[in-house]
Amino acid sequence: MFFFKRDKPSEAMELFGNVATIGMQLVVATFIGLAMGYYLDEWLGTKPWMLIIFLLLGIIAGFRDVYREAMRLQRGADAQSSGPASGPDGDDAKGGSDRQGK
Amino acid sequence: MAAGLPHPLTYSVLIDQQLGLHLPPHVYYMWLAMIILFSCGFILRGRLQLVPGGLQNVFETVIGGLEDFVVLNIGEEGRKVFPFLSAMFIFILVMNYIGLIPGCDAATANVNTNAAMAISVFVYYNYIGIKKWGFGYIKHFMGPVIFLAPLMLILETVSHLARPLSLTLRLFGNIRGEEIVLVLLFVLAPVLGTLPMYFLFILGKTIQAFIFFMLTMIYLKGSLEHAH
Repeated sequence: MFFFKRDKPSEAMELFGNVATIGMQLVVATFIGLAMGYYLDEWLGTKPWMLIIFLLLGIIAGFRDVYREAMRLQRGADAQSSGPASGPDGDDAKGGSDRQGK
Repeated sequence: MAAGLPHPLTYSVLIDQQLGLHLPPHVYYMWLAMIILFSCGFILRGRLQLVPGGLQNVFETVIGGLEDFVVLNIGEEGRKVFPFLSAMFIFILVMNYIGLIPGCDAATANVNTNAAMAISVFVYYNYIGIKKWGFGYIKHFMGPVIFLAPLMLILETVSHLARPLSLTLRLFGNIRGEEIVLVLLFVLAPVLGTLPMYFLFILGKTIQAFIFFMLTMIYLKGSLEHAH
């Protein structure tokens, strides 16, 4: 298979996957917060306040997700570069040190 | 590759005229993907061999690779949820690839298909979390500090609700965009322009299926592991 090297998903695919996930969550969480605030306003009749509060909460939630995702990626990179035996082939240990630079 | 046209003439339109069911095209192409996968499964089940060859080899490579990946990331508990994950990956992959056949259309180029899958992912990982932790699953939503818990509850609710939406929109946007680019290039330069793009889009469609699978895995991991 083209995308499976040595019986595991190839590194390029994991990398693309990780990169493509980060931005979306930020935008979508903002809009979810906006929608929640809007409908709470309609329900409770507190015209602008819920919208403002929930929009801010949505933005905070989005940034928090991005932060957590970045931490997860960083942990993955650390484990890959310092892990004793991350793969059966020996070049992982050598490749790990310059991979951390990203 | 015809989702970019306002009135695409695809095989599904012809089939729909024959059957008279008035269903939208993406339903037919989803059924096509299901037929392909079910027949592969039944053919393979009939002649499983100890030394795999041909089709069995392909499936063993893909599923074995995915299982290793899941177990590496989630741990041994990952084997319980692995069937769902691998089914998602292969189903989306086949639906994406169907979009590359001329006259066919990717079922994932429609929001409804993706929303259905994303909502089932949402329900599934919450179900797994509640099944494992019982009422204590709410601790996953409360954060580490107890006096910040009401704020965290709202924040986590927002970010959990954002997950199915972002899964839906990412898959839809990428696949639909690729279909539109294929149609435009086919109009500009019939075969010459489309053929190189096929290689790029095979890569793109595989990556999109893999992203959906990987995010589902991360969400399941989050609901399976202990609350921080």
